Amino acid sequence: MLRVTQTKNALLDGATIAEDLYTTPKDCEEGFESLELPGKNPKKLSPRSTFLRAGVLTTVRGSAYMEYGNTKVMAIVAPPHEMMRATARRMNMGVINCFVNFAAFATGELESVPEREKHLGSMLSKALEPVVCRTEFLNFQLDIRVLILDDDGCLLSTAINCCGVALVECGISTYDLVTASTACIYRDNVFLNPTAKEEELLRKHRGGHALAGSENSSSTSTGAPQEHGLITTASMDTFDQLAQCQQCGYLSPGTYVKLLDYTLAINKSLRQIIRRVLTARIKEQHELDVREKAESALEDQRLAEIIERLGRQGLDEFIQSTIKEDPFVKR
Amino acid sequence: MAYVALSEAEKTFILHGVEEDFRCDGRSRRDYRPMELETGLVSNASGSARLRLANTDILVGIKTEIDVPDPLTPEFGKLEFFVDCSANATPEFEGRGGSDLAQELVLALENAYESPLAFDYRTLCLIPGQQCWKLYIDILILECGGNLHDAVSLAAKAALHNTKLPQVTASLLDAGVTDLIISDNPYDCTRLTIDTVPLLVTVCKIGDYCLVDPSAEEEACSTVSIVVSVSMRNGEAFLSGSHMTGGGAMHRDTMRNCLNLGLSIGEQLNTLLAKVLKQEEERVGPKRPKTVGFLK
Repeated sequence: MLRVTQTKNALLDGATIAEDLYTTPKDCEEGFESLELPGKNPKKLSPRSTFLRAGVLTTVRGSAYMEYGNTKVMAIVAPPHEMMRATARRMNMGVINCFVNFAAFATGELESVPEREKHLGSMLSKALEPVVCRTEFLNFQLDIRVLILDDDGCLLSTAINCCGVALVECGISTYDLVTASTACIYRDNVFLNPTAKEEELLRKHRGGHALAGSENSSSTSTGAPQEHGLITTASMDTFDQLAQCQQCGYLSPGTYVKLLDYTLAINKSLRQIIRRVLTARIKEQHELDVREKAESALEDQRLAEIIERLGRQGLDEFIQSTIKEDPFVKR
Repeated sequence: MAYVALSEAEKTFILHGVEEDFRCDGRSRRDYRPMELETGLVSNASGSARLRLANTDILVGIKTEIDVPDPLTPEFGKLEFFVDCSANATPEFEGRGGSDLAQELVLALENAYESPLAFDYRTLCLIPGQQCWKLYIDILILECGGNLHDAVSLAAKAALHNTKLPQVTASLLDAGVTDLIISDNPYDCTRLTIDTVPLLVTVCKIGDYCLVDPSAEEEACSTVSIVVSVSMRNGEAFLSGSHMTGGGAMHRDTMRNCLNLGLSIGEQLNTLLAKVLKQEEERVGPKRPKTVGFLK
């Protein structure tokens, strides 16, 4: 019988490569035990280690690549083009379409991929609509494509961040820089920027433990239910505007606001990173432009010299003077 | 949703009305339009409901099937939503036009019903790990007059209340696979408890104020709205899903106000719906009304 052992890849910050993380409820319990529990009030409200680069492809005008911990996402934005569907043209603003694709090797669970792609696509367009100045491309549509290369949690927020940078790179007017992050709560522990393991526990087990837990306790106790849930917030921080706030699970209003505030704090730190990346990109682009200008000036100068010589010497003499002797021909 | 052509003057009129807490039809910002609800009208479905919220008309039918539960949650049944925006509702839904809206509604409902604390999936379990009920909730949008999320969730909740699951007895355990006998008696059934089942409430922001149950014209005036899924548990309101829609952004404090408004309205809606459903159940025998439903 073929046995596949799980390998630990030293390059991936300690993440393990596994096919199906949880197959039985006992696996879920063991998975939960193995996690580092952050407790009820996390102390450090900071994003994961991020790599972000604007302008990575030569084929499209706007592109960005982002690595958020182990999650790797690439976004491309092409300039708006005319709308195909006649019925949608009655809108008074441009239309944004988002297409999300998972690479074949991005995630272990392949059955839920088409559904997740659709879900992410619709959530992404909802998040980016308030950011883009849609009045500037009336009757046109803007296509944004996202490719997910590695899924380690926080997909929606990473995709939003990446698309925000790609939009700026493409030159599409936006109202502000958009940043997004995720927080979740499971069994009284608040996880910020949850990894794929944590998200899958939440999604697959669906707080199933919540009901089991209440059965174990005495039947007459009607204590507070086990809250569980995940919240993704995208914000534009200049005027404290929320572009999108998506929540799933079962939360009391107090917990909801608490998680919302955590994500807003992380968004503020992410904004600094994005500003740094974009400023560095502008400087780099400026230097490239200067170099190109210098090179073309040099070329212009060379051509001017040749024209001047031609004018001075006349055509025949010019041709004679430019012919060089072939060093391999013996005279 | 439905495309309504409004001039700038009309939009300003609606905006001023909202500011003065007196909307075009005389409602305050917290009032819903009159609703008509009827359950048990489709005889071939296990449960059905029809809701009419002013111009919005929704018909929900629930079918049941026996299925194998997910191995990670062996005691849970399954729910599957399907929304059909028929071309009768508005001309934009012709062909594939309504599919985006249908997808959005399905996602919102699936998100709201996902948690077992919102809908107790254990009531759908037959034999843990082997057989469970799967409910197909089919929602048909017959007419679109604004505020689809609310209407759809109200109708779905009423249909779930109306669902009668036939009584199932298990016969011999044959090599690990149990043979199930489903009772033929239409009155021999179990019902679902819908106390904690969530309702979606759309809170719409027009100008500086938030309101609920926007009509189609008011939806065209708003910049952003938030759809909140409210579930009642032990008298307290919980959020089982939320997302923003409409293409605009809102300030964090505005969002908190909208959330609170949505929660209080959701609480009232849940209580009222339970009361109305109970009233309808009691209208049997001599108290049964003359034919009211449009399908009868």
